[in-house]
Amino acid sequence: MVGGAAVSVGIPTLDCFLDGNGKAYADTGARLPIRFGTYFWGLGLTDTPAGSRWVPKTKGRDFDITPELISLIPVKDKISVCSGFRVIGDGRPNAVHWSGHASILSGIAPLRAGQMDGPSFDTSIADAIGVGTRFKSIEVSANGKPVSYSTRTGRSFATPEPTPFALYQRLFGQGFQDPNSPTWQPDPSIMLNQSVLSGVTEQRRALFAQVGKSDQVKLDQYFTSLREMENQLAIQLQRPAKAEACSIPSALKDLPMKSASVDVINANSKAMARLLAMAMACNQTKVFNFVHTPGQSETYIAGDSKIYHQYTHDEPTDATLGYQINTSKLAGLVMQALGDFLIEMNAIKEGAGTLLDNMVVMAFSDTGYAKIHSIENIPMIIAGGAGGKHKGGQHIAGNGDPVTRVSLTAQQLAGAPVGEFGSGAMKTARPITEIMA
Amino acid sequence: MSVRRVTESQYRNIIRDTFGPGMQLNARFEPELREAGLQSIGNAQLSITTSGFEQYFALAKSVAGQAVDEKKRAEFVSCTPADQKTKDDACTRIVLERYGKSLFRRPLTEAEIASRLKIASDATARVANYYEGLRLAIASLLVDPEFLFRVEEAEPDPANPGQYRLDAYSKASRISFLLWDSAPDDALLQAAVNGDIHVNAILKAQVARMIASPKLKDGAKAFFTDMLQFEYFDSLTKDGATYPKYSQKVADSAREQTLRTLMDLLIEQNRDYRDIFTTNETFINRALAPVYKVPYLSRQEWARYTFPDDAERSGILTQITFLSLFSHPAASSPTKRGIKVNEIFKCQPTPEPPADVDFSKVQALDKGTVRTRLLAHKENAGCAVCHRNSDPPGLALEHFDGIGQLRKLENGQLIDVSAEINGTQFSGAQGLGEMLRNDKKVPECLVRNVFAYGIGRTTSYKDEDYLIDETKAFADNGYRFKDLLINIATSPGFFKATSPVGLGPAKLPTTAQAATQHATEVRPRIALEKTK
Repeated sequence: MVGGAAVSVGIPTLDCFLDGNGKAYADTGARLPIRFGTYFWGLGLTDTPAGSRWVPKTKGRDFDITPELISLIPVKDKISVCSGFRVIGDGRPNAVHWSGHASILSGIAPLRAGQMDGPSFDTSIADAIGVGTRFKSIEVSANGKPVSYSTRTGRSFATPEPTPFALYQRLFGQGFQDPNSPTWQPDPSIMLNQSVLSGVTEQRRALFAQVGKSDQVKLDQYFTSLREMENQLAIQLQRPAKAEACSIPSALKDLPMKSASVDVINANSKAMARLLAMAMACNQTKVFNFVHTPGQSETYIAGDSKIYHQYTHDEPTDATLGYQINTSKLAGLVMQALGDFLIEMNAIKEGAGTLLDNMVVMAFSDTGYAKIHSIENIPMIIAGGAGGKHKGGQHIAGNGDPVTRVSLTAQQLAGAPVGEFGSGAMKTARPITEIMA
Repeated sequence: MSVRRVTESQYRNIIRDTFGPGMQLNARFEPELREAGLQSIGNAQLSITTSGFEQYFALAKSVAGQAVDEKKRAEFVSCTPADQKTKDDACTRIVLERYGKSLFRRPLTEAEIASRLKIASDATARVANYYEGLRLAIASLLVDPEFLFRVEEAEPDPANPGQYRLDAYSKASRISFLLWDSAPDDALLQAAVNGDIHVNAILKAQVARMIASPKLKDGAKAFFTDMLQFEYFDSLTKDGATYPKYSQKVADSAREQTLRTLMDLLIEQNRDYRDIFTTNETFINRALAPVYKVPYLSRQEWARYTFPDDAERSGILTQITFLSLFSHPAASSPTKRGIKVNEIFKCQPTPEPPADVDFSKVQALDKGTVRTRLLAHKENAGCAVCHRNSDPPGLALEHFDGIGQLRKLENGQLIDVSAEINGTQFSGAQGLGEMLRNDKKVPECLVRNVFAYGIGRTTSYKDEDYLIDETKAFADNGYRFKDLLINIATSPGFFKATSPVGLGPAKLPTTAQAATQHATEVRPRIALEKTK
């Protein structure tokens, strides 16, 4: 009893409780938790009329690694490369650098740029699996701009952590409790803080009485956030389950690293991937949304006067090589960050495998061939073992199927109770069964 | 919309006005949303996300903690509890009423006070500390949606049967957020208590008082920060190799420089708004001087400075703010700058380029000036339709590089800054400034922006007559910004509310109903619909 309230005591996860394969709890058969994340990068990958710099020639297993996917070689067996999937607009305009990922995430071709016509699907996964951890989901933006595409309302987007320092503070700063601490005690001030929120809840009914629908959406979001805060406090009052792989990162300093050059963004991205991996190993969150570069990416090679976005549009296709040289070079550098990200996830041992084996990461972009703002053949990659449910190491050719098939697959692999996804011509009940165990 | 999240600057100003300037606020606020040219319009769509709520919660605890801090509590808590270890509802009530009124922009209801008295007494009982209970009660006000959102409410308009108007408290807030970017003060709230604010003479006297207040600069700064799109500074990056002089200090100073210029011109000197495009007068500091290539001799932090004619500076378009914000990380961008001149100052947005645009003609060039490259826009009819308006103002600004340094050459070639729009020839930044000064769309756009900013929605055809009248009054007053604010803040059009769908025409409540409402402390809430 602390301050008059009962405190429940969690059971630590120790290896001795796991079954012989290290995949599940021995007594209940419950599996290690699945973690889910989206990973976004801007400006797609390079297609040219003459051929693609990223789509593998062979399908299924043992696909060939193309030039822009070279950084993914170390995790090749744990990824499925999905090509040939497209956005079907049902007559809606192609809002450049927006329609692609808005459709992938919400399942609906958006009416206009900057908003989605439904919630992003990561929120339903967070609702399904993001319970029991301090954060329901964590948003990260590695490019210095506060960009996130995670939304419950289609209008308000999540506020991401924009620097490694900010991410460290959020995850391991005030409020973090070491799951492996031998001297854990519940913090009595948390219970007092809980009462601050109780004053608000009581007024809910009055405020809801007569507002219009769009205001109700805003207030709903507010109360969702309030409830999540209550939940966070409740979890902090419970003894955290032991986490073998959890080792608290040393404190970071706030560096004035304000640059959008690709080397800086990639360095930030890697540092933030490491923090995020440790946050999952320490049971702080099970869901994340990671933005490497935004849709109309302004990253560039240090010292070069042209940004990536300009190159994609302006750069001529090299007559000899058959593709845009600088554009493809930047695409390769941007993919290096995804490779590094997955390697960080794969570096953490968990049970008999790695953290990545118990994850589903859906990585995707806003366009296919950025030069023409194509929303066909948008590169999409599903990574992680999904606790054995994902049969990786494959190349899947979508043949013009809607992007929502990949989104649905990711949701089902992550364990969200979803049977169909999308609307209009993008409505689908067909996940990519070839990659599902 | 009737529910709008308070902005970061509003939050900071309300806390300052409620608790005094000593309150420390360390937090990262959620990004705001720009729509139809203004964040105040986009923000009307925003709510509070999970991470945003975490920040507000942390702030609430921090502010309340500072208010009851043993060393400082005498300043914040005007009564002393009978016993520091037990509850004292009377004292708690005094504190809650005082701060609650300012935070919620209206007196608290009895239910709102009662729930906080309970929080305070429960906590005090648990830890035997009066101030700990008080801290939690204050914190609870600071996470309340009534504080974090601007909730505007309508009531039937007695002067126009069947129509709605903002109620007195909502009206006071709308004026106060426009003029001060903060909550109403006691005098303004007092004018709302009995509905006095609906009396024209009282409204005018209140507005005149507020215009004369130093807090007017908070309001004017917030408006121009929104209109000039300064939020892009938060994530602006420049390539260090290309622009070694650029730094965070330069960016922060530039922002301050433009706001100082505007406040001096429009508030202190009360000059013609259109002078912002032609003035040579500004303020500089030690960080800005090297970028402007002038020596800094003052011992003060900021000094007045008048650019000589050959510096080619002409008003705020030639300050580092505009020139660096609307450029690339390592190069200027005539198209970006031109688009922003039209969008920000003339309310003429440029449509997105078509998704399938053929860029093959717009090839990269390592030689010559950017003008050569942009010629391709003229040759393609599909491009020309927009670029013939967007490129010329930007080309006239080409003597300033991506952070606003004066230059005459690009890749070794002389830069040509002559331009033409619809048959009008002009040259360089000074020519552009002069042209904008005489463009009648410029004052029209300012009037539209001030109005839309205040009401938090886009203007529609229904507002056109109102805007025409206000624009004429603005011109008649010699384009004085302060007069524009006075006219808008005292016009009935600024407080009009339309009937929400499904509610039908307004019915005046009977005296009995009004009395019941008062007795039960349930305030009627009527959503204000967007008039599109």
